[in-house]
Amino acid sequence: MKKKTIIFMLIMSLMAGMLVACGKSSDDVVNTEAGRTTLIVGFDAEFKPYGYKDENGEYVGFDLDLAEEVCERNGWNLVKQPIDWASKDMELNSNSIDCIWNGFTLNGRETDYTWTDAYVDNSQVVVVKSNSGIRELTDLADKNVIVQADSSALAALAGEDASEDNKALRSTFKELQQVGDYNSAFMNLEAGAADAICMDIGVAKYEIEARGNDFMMLPDTISSEEYGVGFKLGNTSLRDAVLETLYEMVEDGTYAQISDKWDLSDFACLGNEGTSTAKELDAMAATTKDESFLEKFADIAGQLLSGVGASLLIFILTLCFSLPLGLLICAGRRSKIKPVAWLVKFYISIMRGTPLMLQLLVVFFGPFYVFGWSLSTSYRFYAVIIGFTLNYAAYFAEIYRSGVEAVPVGQHEAAQVLGYTKIQTFWKVTFPQMVKHVMPPVTNEVITLVKDTSLAFVLAYTEMFTLAKQVAASQASIMPLFIAGLFYYIFNYVVAFIMERIEKKLAYYK
Amino acid sequence: MSILEINKLKKSFDGIEVLKDISLKVKEGEVVSIIGPSGSGKSTLLRCATLLEKMDEGSLLYCDEVAVKDVGGATIYAPKNELRHIKEYFGLVFQNYNLFPHLSVMKNICDAPISVQKRDKEEVKQEAERLLEKMGLEDKKEAYPFQLSGGQRQRVAIARALAMNPKMLFFDEPTSALDPELTQEVLKVLKDLAKDKMTMVIVTHEIEFARNISDRVIFMDGGVIIEEGTPSEVIENPSNERTKSFLTKMKV
Ligand SMILES: Nc1ncnc2c1ncn2[C@@H]1O[C@H](COP(=O)(O)OP(=O)(O)OP(=O)(O)O)[C@@H](O)[C@H]1O
Ligand SMILES: [Mg+2]
Repeated sequence: MKKKTIIFMLIMSLMAGMLVACGKSSDDVVNTEAGRTTLIVGFDAEFKPYGYKDENGEYVGFDLDLAEEVCERNGWNLVKQPIDWASKDMELNSNSIDCIWNGFTLNGRETDYTWTDAYVDNSQVVVVKSNSGIRELTDLADKNVIVQADSSALAALAGEDASEDNKALRSTFKELQQVGDYNSAFMNLEAGAADAICMDIGVAKYEIEARGNDFMMLPDTISSEEYGVGFKLGNTSLRDAVLETLYEMVEDGTYAQISDKWDLSDFACLGNEGTSTAKELDAMAATTKDESFLEKFADIAGQLLSGVGASLLIFILTLCFSLPLGLLICAGRRSKIKPVAWLVKFYISIMRGTPLMLQLLVVFFGPFYVFGWSLSTSYRFYAVIIGFTLNYAAYFAEIYRSGVEAVPVGQHEAAQVLGYTKIQTFWKVTFPQMVKHVMPPVTNEVITLVKDTSLAFVLAYTEMFTLAKQVAASQASIMPLFIAGLFYYIFNYVVAFIMERIEKKLAYYK
Repeated sequence: MSILEINKLKKSFDGIEVLKDISLKVKEGEVVSIIGPSGSGKSTLLRCATLLEKMDEGSLLYCDEVAVKDVGGATIYAPKNELRHIKEYFGLVFQNYNLFPHLSVMKNICDAPISVQKRDKEEVKQEAERLLEKMGLEDKKEAYPFQLSGGQRQRVAIARALAMNPKMLFFDEPTSALDPELTQEVLKVLKDLAKDKMTMVIVTHEIEFARNISDRVIFMDGGVIIEEGTPSEVIENPSNERTKSFLTKMKV
């Protein structure tokens, strides 16, 4: 009874947190820019050539140069704040950054931010390996196409506002995969795990130049789009100040100069005829109506549900393989053949001593970079399961080992005198007693696994948390993350309940 | 025929000789008690005889079948399958019972005869019930070891050893972990076994009991057999000084 009350209270406070987090309030925005001393610009540090880390470890790029100039003219101190692209809305809403200035596509997001005028006109193009034989969009039929999660290319192909042409094109693909950043997109392309990448033209040009002639761009574009600087919805005063300065820079030629420097003159469009302006965008934002909380909750939960299945699958398969494999590794660790024991000990120390995320990357990309094998798409899922299994089996092995060692020697001696073989002794005497000893630590590990399933995102395997981050980004809301948290909580509650039942069952003896 | 025959057994731990040249023969139906101060090597002797500990030198035979052969300063053990067969000749009862905690009393007794000796399940169960009755534990069949008193646990352990139908039983201080009353119920079981002409080697600190039950008493000290003979020879009229002082300490 008491337990139920506590859980109820927990869920209520979680909900309350969501309500607060989801209300788009604009009253806490600072309204005077007179006293401003810094401008914190949020950017994805891997988005060349707009904002990225160069060989010297400096953050540079077209957007950062523009921002630098704006700050100088206003007497502000520029703070370059690299952010995780998926958390950009949380960063902005919590005022930890002042704006997103990073090749930020305004199409489709018109009503989610307060925008400057469009300053770059960009198009979405398709990049393929030069020797792939893909020459036009129709060649993409039955191919694996990759995009950055929550990118304009994704929106153009599969978003709500995608054109009919693009929807038709997308339906010819074998699969449309999402990765976290362009570097892994190119790794996938190079490794053969994908046949084409859809991306912004400016980035595409830059990447192709930087990576040599192994890659090429198809002549046809998928869509054209515009970039603007995005501010927290309602923060017009800061937006106005920045925009005003930008126009000064257009007047005196600095804007053209910086565009030239980054080879973006063809795309720079601030003040051009026919581009979106802040005024038009403000007007669009003013006319949107908010969905009710429950509608939104149901909508998001529905979207996340497909990811729950994927998370559950990772969880179950990992347990099915790693629990028995752990036993084998435990046997190897305790082996009397010294080299075997050392090898297994080394394996365990690697598994426990390096991040699981890194291990997943090695399992997935290793076969290509080490042996030059080209990777099939289905291997993505296998790599997730193999990576998780290898890692968890190492942990389980160590738990089993302590469990085996907790069984008194007298038990083995009694079995030995009774004539049991070694194998009989293990299965009839050691194993059942070991299981009882290891239940509490195994339960801990299993609960950690529930949460660790979210790490599958590094291999672009879409489980629940990846989905939550994507939905959060596309809706400019953190509610999906809270709902994901709720799912994990419920998931773990069920796991803990089952483990408790098993422990009770084993309590028949002491 | 001797059931057990040990010749010139030597055993060292980390260079320290714990058993120095022990020889011992036990005939069918004979009850032999081993007494001696702590650390004299009694348990080690039993562990070597039951193959839990490896002998350094000497030979070991059960019913004239060679388990361990002496090859001048080293030992050769019989092949696995022969040892498995030889193991059926003896049973061992531990001081701290070593029952399997996760198995019921009935399963503790029946499992080895069924899965090691491949005997018929029903027959084994019937025999187990008979043994439990003999031990006065017929109402504890389905209990788990943690639900039993020390004396009851030790009687289950004895039943478990007997269920294998061994030719002889070793006991290593079977009552040392027990209160005086519980000691008596276990000793009574041993007396009944002696009456039934069970061959037994018993390491014990119960001098009075050793005198009553034994055909032969062995006094060990410092890894050697100091004195050996009938209870009246060794316990009532010891000839060796060390035996005398040990018995005085034990207040006989
Ligand atoms: N596994 C072992 N490793 C090292 N030394 C051992 C080992 N087992 C026994 N010993 C040593 O061998 C000697 C004899 O031990 P043992 O247990 O046989 O004596 P005991 O006569 O049974 O004594 P107690 O009456 O206390 O049971 C002791 O000095 C003990 O420390
Ligand atoms: Mg002892």
